[in-house]
Amino acid sequence: MRSALPTVPTLHSEWIKIRSLRGTLGGLIAVLVATAGIQALTAAAIGRSEDGSMGDDPLFAAYYGISFGQIAAMVFGAGAVAGEFHNGALRTSLAAVPNRTRFYLSKIATVGVLALLTGQVTGLVTFVAGQAFMGRYALDLGDPGTYRAVVGSGLYLALMALLAAGLTAVLRSGTVVLSLLIPFVLLVSFVVGEAAGGAAQYLPDRAGQLVLHARTQGDLGPWTGLGVMALWAAAAVLGGWLAVRRRDA
Amino acid sequence: MNSIEIRELTKAYGAHRAVDGLTFDVLPGRVTGFLGPNGAGKSTTMRLLLGLDRPTSGTATLGGRSYLDLPDPLHRVGALLDAQSAHGGRTARDHLRFLAAAGSIPVRRVDEVLEQAGIASVAKRRIKSFSLGMRQRLGIAAALLGDPGVLLLDEPTNGLDPEGIIWIRELMRRLAAEGRTVLVSSHLMSETSALADHLIVLGNGRLLADTSMADFIDARSTRRVRLRTSDPGRLRSALARDGFELAAAEEGRWTVEGIQAEQLGKLAAREGIPVLELADERASLEQAYLDLTADHAQFTATR
Repeated sequence: MRSALPTVPTLHSEWIKIRSLRGTLGGLIAVLVATAGIQALTAAAIGRSEDGSMGDDPLFAAYYGISFGQIAAMVFGAGAVAGEFHNGALRTSLAAVPNRTRFYLSKIATVGVLALLTGQVTGLVTFVAGQAFMGRYALDLGDPGTYRAVVGSGLYLALMALLAAGLTAVLRSGTVVLSLLIPFVLLVSFVVGEAAGGAAQYLPDRAGQLVLHARTQGDLGPWTGLGVMALWAAAAVLGGWLAVRRRDA
Repeated sequence: MNSIEIRELTKAYGAHRAVDGLTFDVLPGRVTGFLGPNGAGKSTTMRLLLGLDRPTSGTATLGGRSYLDLPDPLHRVGALLDAQSAHGGRTARDHLRFLAAAGSIPVRRVDEVLEQAGIASVAKRRIKSFSLGMRQRLGIAAALLGDPGVLLLDEPTNGLDPEGIIWIRELMRRLAAEGRTVLVSSHLMSETSALADHLIVLGNGRLLADTSMADFIDARSTRRVRLRTSDPGRLRSALARDGFELAAAEEGRWTVEGIQAEQLGKLAAREGIPVLELADERASLEQAYLDLTADHAQFTATR
């Protein structure tokens, strides 16, 4: 088992791969820019008009921008893995790191750590920047649930990136994964979520976003909701591992 | 430890056997040409050797070990599989940098191989802007990165200009002379005969020949001499005594089948027949190769 774990050289190699592709690095930066930027702009526009103008749950309203940032997180996760399925790039990578488990774990670890770091910075900046425009309706970092939401939003973004990364390894195409995931979180989950009641709360994005709510209803609490999302991401990452291990390159 | 051992190697895709019970060795210190028509199984064999594809049965090892078990693969084996094995969005230098990082190879080596492959001036350009020849040079630079003892080059001259072809030919000869194992695939005999010391020929996934280049030439080409003489009548009767036949060729020259220049020259001297020109003539090597693989070509045009 030890022989299949990532090593410093394989992690270093994956880091160079990510930062040398414009689209992938751009996706990572867009996580912060989209989430915090849209949050600040929306709060500046309507945040002070009346209490609850950005939503009934003031904590969830503080993370309005995450609906956009999560798409950037998917683009990053999918892009980091999809680069291997461009032409025969995977053959070059596997010739350099023949142990496929080590290769895959190095990539997933690099994606996860970068998304988590970016996510945590995003979570804090979004909260502070967004609330700066809320005037007398602003929340403080000390208010109930805010620390949980700051930390949870970073975890949420990282899990979204890992979900997309794992699915891309299964389906071997970033385009296919994004054209499934983006409509899913923007439309399907939203529409089904309103209609289907009970079961819909277990969808990855719905469950994960519970960590951003001040109060939760239904079976799942904020952390158990994030746990459900982590299971979805883990299933995708596991599926990707099986696909990378089994298939001819 | 740098030899390649292929044993009973088979790779089946459904009912089709891309590689079918192959057994051969590739030894260090010489250039081994790996020949066969398109679809003969050359690239599949190389992918199996690198552990990229899983064999249906049999083994492909390097010095007795599977590629997957090598602790330092880039230092042992350098491979050029195809020119498209790189992401077009990266620069040439970044492509080599991530490979170097994976093999704990110092960055200075990246600049060395870029220089050696003649693409240092375009190192910061994205690979998608590269011509086929430049991609091929990048692939060769990647293969040389870890200074490996074994080189696997799949159709390296593809897309190279004449100057590039001469460069790669001399590079391969030099690498072999340094004691490395060099396996180079091609579907052209003319190209391979100019650089290979040893020859492995595949057809339809099966081994058709495993022989030294010299033996292949001797065995496969018919002997013939071409000459000019001022006294064909005497030469004809002298040859007839030994069972050879003088046949007229164009421009007043003559040909004799089944004899070598050395033998004919001695005969003419003994008889005192003036010979004005004398040369060995080999039947085309290309033709010999085509004859060998004719029954095994997977894709042939109907004439």
